[in-house]
Amino acid sequence: MIDSSFDRRDFLKVLGWGGAAVALSGCGNTSVEDGKETVVSYVEATDFMIPSIGVYYNSTCAQCDAGCSINGRVREGRVLKLEGNPASAINRGKLCGLGQAGVQHHYNPDRVREPLLRNGEKGETITWEKAYALIAEKLQGVSGEEIAFLTGAMSGHTKVLLENYLASFGCKNHFAYEAIAPGVVRAANKKAYGVAMPRYNINKAKLVLSFGADFLGNWVSPVHFSQQYGQFRKGVNGQRGVLVQVESKMTLTGANADRWLVVRPGTEGILALGLINALGAASGDVAAEVKDYDKARVSKDTGVSVEQIDKLVALLKSHTPSLVLAGSAAEGYAHGSQNAAAINLLNQVLGNVGKTVVGAASVPFPQMAPILGNTAALASVSDALDAGKYKVMFSCGVNPVFSAPTAMKFKEHFAKVGFKVAFAHYLDETALQADLVLPLDSALEDWGTSVPEYMAGDDAQINIQQPLMERLHANTRGFGDILLALLKQRNPESYKNYPDYYAYLRGAVLQNKNALGGEGADDDEFWNASLSNGILKLAGPVAGLSGGVSAGGLSLPNAPVADAQYPLHLIPSVNANLRDGRNANQPWLQESPDPLTTIVWDSWVEIHPKKAAELGIVEGDIVEVAGKNGSIKAQAYLFPGIHPDAISVPLGRGHDAMGRYAKGFGVNPFHILDAIFDKETGELAMHETRVKVSKTGQRVIVVKDEGAAGGKQMGKKIAVRTSTDKVDLSKEV
Amino acid sequence: MHRFLRLSILLVSLFAASSYAADATQAVKMTEDSLGPLVEQPIEFPHFRHAGDVNKEHPEKGGMQINCMYCHTFARRSAVAGIPPLQKCIGCHQSIESVRETPRIKKLFEYWEGSKDGKIAAKSPIPWKKVHDLPDFVRFNHERHIKRFVFQQNRPVQEACGYCHGDVKTMTVARRSKTLSMGFCVDCHKKDHLVSAEGGTAIGNQAYWYGFKKPVVNASMPLTAKGPNDCWQCHK
Repeated sequence: MIDSSFDRRDFLKVLGWGGAAVALSGCGNTSVEDGKETVVSYVEATDFMIPSIGVYYNSTCAQCDAGCSINGRVREGRVLKLEGNPASAINRGKLCGLGQAGVQHHYNPDRVREPLLRNGEKGETITWEKAYALIAEKLQGVSGEEIAFLTGAMSGHTKVLLENYLASFGCKNHFAYEAIAPGVVRAANKKAYGVAMPRYNINKAKLVLSFGADFLGNWVSPVHFSQQYGQFRKGVNGQRGVLVQVESKMTLTGANADRWLVVRPGTEGILALGLINALGAASGDVAAEVKDYDKARVSKDTGVSVEQIDKLVALLKSHTPSLVLAGSAAEGYAHGSQNAAAINLLNQVLGNVGKTVVGAASVPFPQMAPILGNTAALASVSDALDAGKYKVMFSCGVNPVFSAPTAMKFKEHFAKVGFKVAFAHYLDETALQADLVLPLDSALEDWGTSVPEYMAGDDAQINIQQPLMERLHANTRGFGDILLALLKQRNPESYKNYPDYYAYLRGAVLQNKNALGGEGADDDEFWNASLSNGILKLAGPVAGLSGGVSAGGLSLPNAPVADAQYPLHLIPSVNANLRDGRNANQPWLQESPDPLTTIVWDSWVEIHPKKAAELGIVEGDIVEVAGKNGSIKAQAYLFPGIHPDAISVPLGRGHDAMGRYAKGFGVNPFHILDAIFDKETGELAMHETRVKVSKTGQRVIVVKDEGAAGGKQMGKKIAVRTSTDKVDLSKEV
Repeated sequence: MHRFLRLSILLVSLFAASSYAADATQAVKMTEDSLGPLVEQPIEFPHFRHAGDVNKEHPEKGGMQINCMYCHTFARRSAVAGIPPLQKCIGCHQSIESVRETPRIKKLFEYWEGSKDGKIAAKSPIPWKKVHDLPDFVRFNHERHIKRFVFQQNRPVQEACGYCHGDVKTMTVARRSKTLSMGFCVDCHKKDHLVSAEGGTAIGNQAYWYGFKKPVVNASMPLTAKGPNDCWQCHK
């Protein structure tokens, strides 16, 4: 079809004539529905409800865990558009594309609408009363140790209720699992600074040196960092900030950097220590630790030229304060903790702690603080499941059957549980394995509170989630409401005053009114003001950072040796839209092009043009990526922004469930990851997998937005044509 | 050669497809007197009883001259006039005992209290059928027209509404009595309308004419202006 002689001009001509034909023949009032369409009025309307006039409510975005506050436009009882809430210090009125797509989570046609009980291969619709009774029956005579609850990151009053519920059994098995959270960096920060997540003042730095932290795309709190980045580029005292990105595969942040340095995968820590050595600013045990990392060796190990190291050192000396970030590309190795520690050490040596890395405010209610976790938690659950420790297991907000490597055998281990309950919005891969599926309200229908992990403002904040509209489906329930109903089974006396989760939430907030800044205020007034703001701000204690500079226990392995059978590193990249794949069923996200490759609706294999030429691969070739634990097939995309010894496949696609917009689009690289873990923290080393690439002989046309570089461009030579194998991004500044 | 063959096939098929689409959607049949279709409503709402003129001889046959905007309260605030909330009907009718047991009012209360056979749940909206509809590519703003004619010029409400909706106060169930075609709209927008009237709201030296031309002020002539004549005013 594409090769046909039917070119663009002809096509437009036909389209034009076709349009005229439609206009001529369609002159009747073709969309008039007099006497046919029903016009539905309100039953009871308040004064502010006027048809065609929007009303705005504040709530909290649930698309990722950054905790941005949202402001939703509601018209005729329907939520139409989400934007950022200006009152939040995190996103200050802005919202990313992922957040905007939240309405498609709410209106998704594939939501679970009724409680489902497994009957063979099928789910049978049951009532909520029966579902609750069934849970009570299955928990009869089961001890606390035999129950497990697996959730995503969780905070606020929902977490309090969940902990109370589990405590009623004496159960301590609440595991939090986030598929792509910075688990290793948290642990390294805890060691270096005394807190897991300090505040990063990108806007106060004159130089940001980021080791694979994609803070503009998906890292920790990207909307907040993007705003800081804007200020950083405008400059401190008129000096425009300089961004240097060190990574093996270009991220969105890397594409925005002044200098992009490609390193051999896994050698980020070596480069950091080499920089400390070259700076010559360290003393004592740090100096002793780094003295072996001379420029020649570092250059040989990392692939970064001596000249570039010199340039970088000169930049670090002339631009203070600077900020060094350790991101997912640095932490994803068996020595990830060491990498992150070396990078944090560089921050300390440069004297950035206290200036661009500072303590964050925290909420003075420890029971509401977020419970975080990463693949280490999942690995321990998986092992315990394998040992048959749990008789009843609950899962909520996670999809480990999709996001755990096949090598972990999570699916098989999960099957060993006697009774599996999934709280779910969609029938995703994990919900399909469950015995009982409980349908949840969407994030725009539910009540809740949450405490963001990354506290961006000077004050701590608790985010309020409130319904923007009525339930779309009569038989979904809020997670808080379900927990309350389950708690009433256990402990009816303590919770009898709360008819629903809303009442509980209101009671709990008003009980602490004084601490939340509502001293002396009327209950109703304070509660309504809080809902209207969408945020509770409170002056929390700011944890100081420990200031010691120490290289204690730092031992980096040598640069990795080549593997003859599996010569390439597999980098599972995190795309700003799809991330870990939990939102893959939102078509806006599927069709908004990847920022770097502009590919839509499908997966791809990024491969360096030189390596591709070596293997005889051209764009669109279906290639097989095979590792020790399976293989995937996807279209090749030649990309100069990647190390020649690495290939990259984006995460998030490749669902085999989760509805019409997710199922069957792309491939899932999670499944072929090797089960190699960081030695210190036990988190999955996501970048440690080695693969080989081979052609399958098929070829497709890659569906993407970009045209050929230096192509026709309407006959004007806007860009000079350069073949991709001639481009060397590491030389460009 | 092939190229032109392919082009013409595409063209012909497009034409055929579009004509078919146009045929398929013209299902609404106009009645002989070229009024809108007779629409059967869930409740036969007597507009004449509510908005009609008072009949002094037989008060039970006449109307109560209720202002249109008492019920269609959104018309002056929003682009759409809206159907009054059910609450509004009940608000009055719960204290009008004399008609409480008539069939139409009994039906009305079924939507509020729920029907005995359980077919209608309590507090469900009445499924009224649309009587006045415009194509989706036309944007008509009630608020602008009401502000212009009722609040600035003090014209009677029933006259202003009646420009497009006809003499609703004599109808039971409303029926479209104007064509509401583009020609209908343009006819009116072409006319010179007075921009001030006795008792009308002072509107200053701006915004009372809608075209690009400021009206010529001539002390001996009444000040008039035309409605907007730009495509984008309605086709947004």
